[in-house]
Amino acid sequence: MADDIKKAGPDRRSVLKGSALAGGVGAMLATNVRAAQDGEPRAAAAVSRIPVSLSVNGQTRDVSVDTRATLLDTLRHDFELTGTKKGCDHGQCGACTVHIDGERKLSCLTLAATVEGADIVTIEGLAKGDALHPMQQAFIDHDAFQCGYCTPGQIMSAVALVKEGHTGSDAEIREYMSGNLCRCAAYPNIVAAVKQAAPQMGDA
Amino acid sequence: MADVTNTAAPTMANAGKPIARYEARQKVTGGKIYGDDLAVPGKPAHGWLVTSAIAKGTITAIDDSAAKAVPGVLMIMTHENRPPLQPMKTFSTGGIGLTSQEPLGGPEIAHDGQIVALIVAETFEAAREAGRKLDISYNEGRPATTFGSPGVVRKTTKEVVGRGGGPTLGDVEAALAGSTHVVEAEYSTPVQHHNTIEMFTTTAFWEGDRLTLHEPSQFVWGAKVGLAKQLGIDPDNVHYVSPFVGGAFGAKAAIGHRTPLVALAAKQLGRPVKLVPTRDQCFTIAGYRQETKSKVRLGCDAEGRLTGYSHELDEFTSLLDPYHNGGLENSAAMYAFKAVGGDMFLSRGDRNVPVFMRSPPEVPVIYALESAMNELAEKAGMDPVAFRKLNDTRVNPVNGAPYTSRSLNECFDEAAASFGWSRRTPAPRSMRDGDWLIGWGCSMATYPTSMTPATARVTLNANGGAKVEVAAHDVGTGAYTIIGQTVGERLGIDPRRIIVQCGDSDLPPGPVSGGSVTTASVTSAVAKACDQLLAKMSASGPMSDEDRRAAFDRIGSNALIEYAEWTPAGMDPKQAKTLYEGGVPFAGGAGEDRTMFAFGAEMVEVRINERTREIRVPRMTGAFAAGHIMNPRTAHSQYLGGMIWGMGSALLEATEMDRLRGRYVNDNIAEYLVATNADIPQVDIIMVPEQDDEINVLGVKGIGELANVGTAAAITDAVYHATGVRIRDLPVRIEQLLV
Ligand code: FES
Ligand code: FES
Repeated sequence: MADDIKKAGPDRRSVLKGSALAGGVGAMLATNVRAAQDGEPRAAAAVSRIPVSLSVNGQTRDVSVDTRATLLDTLRHDFELTGTKKGCDHGQCGACTVHIDGERKLSCLTLAATVEGADIVTIEGLAKGDALHPMQQAFIDHDAFQCGYCTPGQIMSAVALVKEGHTGSDAEIREYMSGNLCRCAAYPNIVAAVKQAAPQMGDA
Repeated sequence: MADVTNTAAPTMANAGKPIARYEARQKVTGGKIYGDDLAVPGKPAHGWLVTSAIAKGTITAIDDSAAKAVPGVLMIMTHENRPPLQPMKTFSTGGIGLTSQEPLGGPEIAHDGQIVALIVAETFEAAREAGRKLDISYNEGRPATTFGSPGVVRKTTKEVVGRGGGPTLGDVEAALAGSTHVVEAEYSTPVQHHNTIEMFTTTAFWEGDRLTLHEPSQFVWGAKVGLAKQLGIDPDNVHYVSPFVGGAFGAKAAIGHRTPLVALAAKQLGRPVKLVPTRDQCFTIAGYRQETKSKVRLGCDAEGRLTGYSHELDEFTSLLDPYHNGGLENSAAMYAFKAVGGDMFLSRGDRNVPVFMRSPPEVPVIYALESAMNELAEKAGMDPVAFRKLNDTRVNPVNGAPYTSRSLNECFDEAAASFGWSRRTPAPRSMRDGDWLIGWGCSMATYPTSMTPATARVTLNANGGAKVEVAAHDVGTGAYTIIGQTVGERLGIDPRRIIVQCGDSDLPPGPVSGGSVTTASVTSAVAKACDQLLAKMSASGPMSDEDRRAAFDRIGSNALIEYAEWTPAGMDPKQAKTLYEGGVPFAGGAGEDRTMFAFGAEMVEVRINERTREIRVPRMTGAFAAGHIMNPRTAHSQYLGGMIWGMGSALLEATEMDRLRGRYVNDNIAEYLVATNADIPQVDIIMVPEQDDEINVLGVKGIGELANVGTAAAITDAVYHATGVRIRDLPVRIEQLLV
């Protein structure tokens, strides 16, 4: 499963490397991380907040975020987009999967401050008005959920998986959907939904 | 290998329509339907729990200076400053508490991960930082961890809780002594955690004296009344809102410590407080399935007829409260035993209190019985399916109470035909495919049909629109859908025109969503309200649009409202009152006059690599009979999810413990293994038609906890068939096969 999670999103190390390249913000983060690693208590300085401009579902908004805030918490708390779910906050369950520049990523392992300027799409941005995305419709048609809590992440992963070209066989779909846990265990129905939607997707 | 493609089940005999879920669109579009998604008045503050780093001992000092200095911190609540709370009774003793232990009640630590502080701050990040900076010193004691640990005392369940001896029939020792074949074996099951993908979130806010909770709940009325008592306020001033639950499996019925603490914090701060705990905290701030041991002795005569069945069940539980499941009265009803004996025991340690987890007694008890059935069939030289069919019964052998319906043999026939069971060669290691040893195993699945009182309010408009309201809960089961279907079918209206409201304590009370009671109980109350409406319109069945309009014209009204209270047959109707007091009386299962169970037959194929011992489960087949099926589509998903749970129970799931320090080790969902998509190639579900006119109004049995029962026995038997190695200690691990 670890492999799938890596495929599906950055691990903590790449997040930090990425931010280090991002100049000021990165430098600040790197300092914090070093302090934490050394076991020194962080100084009780003012909270570090920075303004970022985030493009979510085609709309750009300026927000001030805690430099430690994940994209997941920023979506849920600041954007009030609660479709993206927190199932572990540690990159283990896939419930928080979103698209960043067209790729599936775990928003719990993505710091909001590192995705300025990126094109972020969440479950709320998938349908075109009233018209559901073919993957959403396929999930309904195959009852590919019970409680539905993993579903936003499953659907975002499924859409990306089709674009990645991993629909060659049922076994391949299962493998590339295995970074998304479903405790209700709707797995065979999820595979059936992916198979229905894949040929309908075009470049949706 | 074939793949399951068409998963929307077709219409079948004695079943409703396989319509899509009521809330399907919200679930695929990210609708705000779960507790932590719901809007609150004003800007919420964020909570963070600090949990104990030891399993037993005392807090000697709390230094909060660094934590307090974190900008944005609003409150640090510990046992030193917690506002007063009233005592809470546990679920098993008529209350709603997970435990009777007081939240932040003192410096004593009774289990790993006990909540020791609630921090509230302007942001999640600040609360977390303060949580990490709260410096707590402990005096650590040596915990009694699990079976066999120093300090653990074993007593009969009866000695501990005053009831709970096993069922008895005849002289089991004599019956076993006179048997031709006897199996004597010990089976064990591990600690398991529900690990719903939605964690145990709580949001609380006060508007004047009225408290609103947004919290995933399987029992909003119970929670409202119980929490009101704990806070010392009027239950009418508590509003529990839980429209949809992101998985429950038993974990979200009882109230743990976090709920009153968040409510107190919101009161003190005068603003909404939101808490999302961490995944590892979810292992210790709520319940779990406790570890068990079963010592089974089972005998049969030369023809394979069962004689004596003796079962000694050991459960582990907490020193705080003796939560336990028992379950021998159900297993004793399963086959035509001539004699039954056994007893139940509790061992207690320094652990958090266990709680119901999907099919609480059946998962360990039926696993043990069905494993012994498979072993005994082999000793008797019989096919395990033929052996079970020979020993089928129409009555509970212990008290002679007849089954209202029982289609176990039909389930075995259907499962066997679909699976190709007749091609099984009985000898171990006799089936293979290259490097892969193939094993086939089978088991019975069963779950008691229980019912509780329920209420419902139905509003019907002259134009054919309707609304049904009941504080039932949808934990992924499809409750909204089938409640709407009940109204539609009963009144003859389009289910798409029916508004269904559940999961809110301002609605008419419904039972706990546990024990698989919802479908049987709530639809009975809903059907009763519909029948009252029909009576008002002088109709005796579903009405056409014209007849309905004519009836409304006659009455001279445009809308009618009916409120119904329903109690199961044989229960005193006065018991409905309990619902309003936050309680819930159960009836059914192995009763005095009637025996009510749903049944299934499961068959599995395992493939074990001869070189690596890697275990795969390429296919599973389950055939189930549970009376009238309200909606074959949602039922299919219930069975599917159940069998996958059963597979996980056999091969993957176990919470490991540090026996010395009494702490859970793999407290995350990467190391606590749940099935992933790649683990599940094929599951075939067959719904066997069954009619039961006696059981309740609609002839339905609960199905949410049926399919994960017995699966582990089928899998371990398949492992034996493949390898010749009997594993009686779950989950099966590769190293156990390296013999
Ligand atoms: S919340 Fe991000 S992977 Fe679980
Ligand atoms: S639908 Fe419940 S976790 Fe997937």
